[in-house]
Amino acid sequence: MKPRDLVPFLATAWLALPAAAHEVTSEVARDRAVAVRALAHDGAALSDAVAEVFSPSSDGTPFWQGRTDRSGWVAFVPDAPGRWRVRVVDAAGHGIVTDVDVPAPGAADARQAPSPGPSAVAALARPLAGVALVAAIFGFLYLRGRKTGR
Amino acid sequence: MHVPDGFLSPQITLPAWAAAAPLWTWAARRNFGTSSTESLPVVGSLTALAFVVQGLMIPVPGGTSAHLTGVAILAILYNPGVAFVCESLVLLLQALFFGGGGFTVLAVNALAMGLLGPGAAWLTWRALRRLSERTAAFAGAYVGIQVATFSVALVLGLQHRLSPAYMPVPFAVTAVAMLVPSLTVLGVVEGLYTVATLALLRRARLLGAR
Repeated sequence: MKPRDLVPFLATAWLALPAAAHEVTSEVARDRAVAVRALAHDGAALSDAVAEVFSPSSDGTPFWQGRTDRSGWVAFVPDAPGRWRVRVVDAAGHGIVTDVDVPAPGAADARQAPSPGPSAVAALARPLAGVALVAAIFGFLYLRGRKTGR
Repeated sequence: MHVPDGFLSPQITLPAWAAAAPLWTWAARRNFGTSSTESLPVVGSLTALAFVVQGLMIPVPGGTSAHLTGVAILAILYNPGVAFVCESLVLLLQALFFGGGGFTVLAVNALAMGLLGPGAAWLTWRALRRLSERTAAFAGAYVGIQVATFSVALVLGLQHRLSPAYMPVPFAVTAVAMLVPSLTVLGVVEGLYTVATLALLRRARLLGAR
């Protein structure tokens, strides 16, 4: 075979290189993501709200930006241990800023206990407790006023 | 309507605290001295009611929810200073015990929802009360909640201009998202709440309700 006979083969191989460079592969990893859910105090999910995730070494630039899903979840895969910050805010200004501790690889997994979701009891207890506190404060002011007014 | 903790920078919260602190002192001394003891049961009841209605979320257009403030009635019955102190107390309790709003943003929320809103309600009430008490109360509450809502939107918009890291949503989006529900639903419900409460207090001839 003469060297010039190799030219068509080499040309074909060279043209195929860009196709290989555009190849995309995928990886499925379970138990690596951190998920945070944003809920209003009445249990309604903050869906489609602006969400930002800041790494422990963040200089103010978000590690990830996006929107909560329709159930109010934000999920991200941390690439370093430490205290990560998640900020969620909807257009009307409702939102949360919460910290998530991510353990170092191999360290004991000190997972944060999931905060209890709003329950019917909590929904009822909140206004009752608030009314009791306000009544206690005004009751004290009233009794003090009556006493000093005599 | 509350601004949550972490969404406003010290550039806004510190001046707000500096403005609110002397106003709290002045309003508390003027309205909660020994001479006002007889009105405390009614003021306390309306404050407790304000706490409850601020926890009731009303579905509004756009898929979100909003709540009343319930303090325009205090400005109308007494004066904006009473509303300011009582709303501040509600916000303080929410921040300390119930995870609502927040302590750093307390002054901003109190100035918007407790002073500017009720102040506008009181001015509207005074301007219209000769025509009809009910109309004046309704209009006062309606205008009051619009002013409070716009003030909160304005502060959030200002924060976006100062530093989007604190508030990533721009004013144009925030203003529309907050004012459309407020103009269409919240204002009307706040007006009806105020008229109904006023009528109830008048009918019961409760002590302290002027």
